[in-house]
Amino acid sequence: MKLAYYPGCVSQSTGKEMDASTRAVCTALGIEIEELADWNCCGATHVSNELVATGLAARNMAQTDLPIMTACSICYSNLRTAEERLKEPEVLARVNAVLDKKYREAEVRHALDVILEAMPDGDERIVLPLKGLLVAPYYGCLLTRPAGLYSAEFPVILETLIKRLEAEPVDFRKKTACCGGPIFMPQEKAADDIAFGILSEAKQAGAEVIVTVCPLCHLMLDAKQKILEQKKGEKIGIPVLYVTQLVGIALGLGPEELGLFMNTVSPMGIVEKAYERMANES
Amino acid sequence: MPEDKRDDKAFKNEVLRLAGSEALTCIQCGTCSASCPTANLMNPSIRKLIKLCLEGRRDEALHNETLWLCTSCLLCTVRCPRGIRPKAVVSALKEIAGREEKKSKDASYEELFVKQIEQNGRIAELPLTAEFLLVFPQGMVSSMQMGLELLPKGKIGIEIDKIRGKDEVKRIIEELRG
Repeated sequence: MKLAYYPGCVSQSTGKEMDASTRAVCTALGIEIEELADWNCCGATHVSNELVATGLAARNMAQTDLPIMTACSICYSNLRTAEERLKEPEVLARVNAVLDKKYREAEVRHALDVILEAMPDGDERIVLPLKGLLVAPYYGCLLTRPAGLYSAEFPVILETLIKRLEAEPVDFRKKTACCGGPIFMPQEKAADDIAFGILSEAKQAGAEVIVTVCPLCHLMLDAKQKILEQKKGEKIGIPVLYVTQLVGIALGLGPEELGLFMNTVSPMGIVEKAYERMANES
Repeated sequence: MPEDKRDDKAFKNEVLRLAGSEALTCIQCGTCSASCPTANLMNPSIRKLIKLCLEGRRDEALHNETLWLCTSCLLCTVRCPRGIRPKAVVSALKEIAGREEKKSKDASYEELFVKQIEQNGRIAELPLTAEFLLVFPQGMVSSMQMGLELLPKGKIGIEIDKIRGKDEVKRIIEELRG
């Protein structure tokens, strides 16, 4: 199946490793993607007018007849919300009145879901099973809310994926809690406290790595981790990987392809440990 | 009319128009406040904010930190037993606050964000941050800290990417607003 890939604005800045690892994993798994033509910003969490937000999403969705895949949970949530709203004839008419290419219908998928489908249990392409690696499954908000495919309260898809890579999901109480990201510029203290709470919780749960599905969660937990450690006077030191990076490691892809050197907290210790374990076993 | 009974019906109706009339069915159970990650910092709480809207108390509903402490996490929205979308009420209030002359730093951030989309079709984080710091210079130190983390990793996008359909995007924002 071929998909239109919607990279989102962060793919060109703070989320470069999300974009690189998504493309690399898709290639490795034979998932055919073509970049969505002339895509625009989805509005993230900063467009308060719902009709405008719907219009921005509709323009993206009208660019292709293919199912649309994104690795960003914010883009994903916005497109799915718009898809629901556009089922109302009045909304559809108002939006289509301003669009060049008219919106008809769309199928929106998160990269996580596409990857899981393309990589069955016991897939032989998993050349580096992550046996014994303790992973905190961090969903954040917008993969499951509001109109996701998954349970908004008790999602399990990340645990399923982690187990498929033969790693071990830890029991993580804050797995669906917010990272504070959307308010980190104007309300820094509030956002910092929330993000640090997630990191502390992951540490207490014994996680060796946190896996995320959202570039804003990643920014808060990885890019800000050292700053937060200094502010709070407590060491965390847990690498935070995009789900596509974790999958890519298990598929034996190289650190350059997966953008692993772009992470602030280096995940290379985890990669080396996995290779050592494999060498000892064989 | 006594001071505490001011009821701005036009304001209430505008909130309901933007956020959905189901807000009228709010029973003040507080599930939204109990679910909110920043509830401890909010005054009024999200529950009270909805009540303020329903009582047409425009000033108190519009001019508070609560609106800007909302992280858009949507827990309130998936949990509300009445099917109300409290986050949509917050968005409606932000929209109305954005129409006012004098804007808070938070409202300015949203305005700059939308302005960037309007101009280019996409967001470039560096120019957005730079513009915001002109409004809110107190954010300079932490922005520099972040920059020092991101710059050596090549994760600061300096170029502004303009899309071909930027005029269409501008039209979407101009014509669907309101």
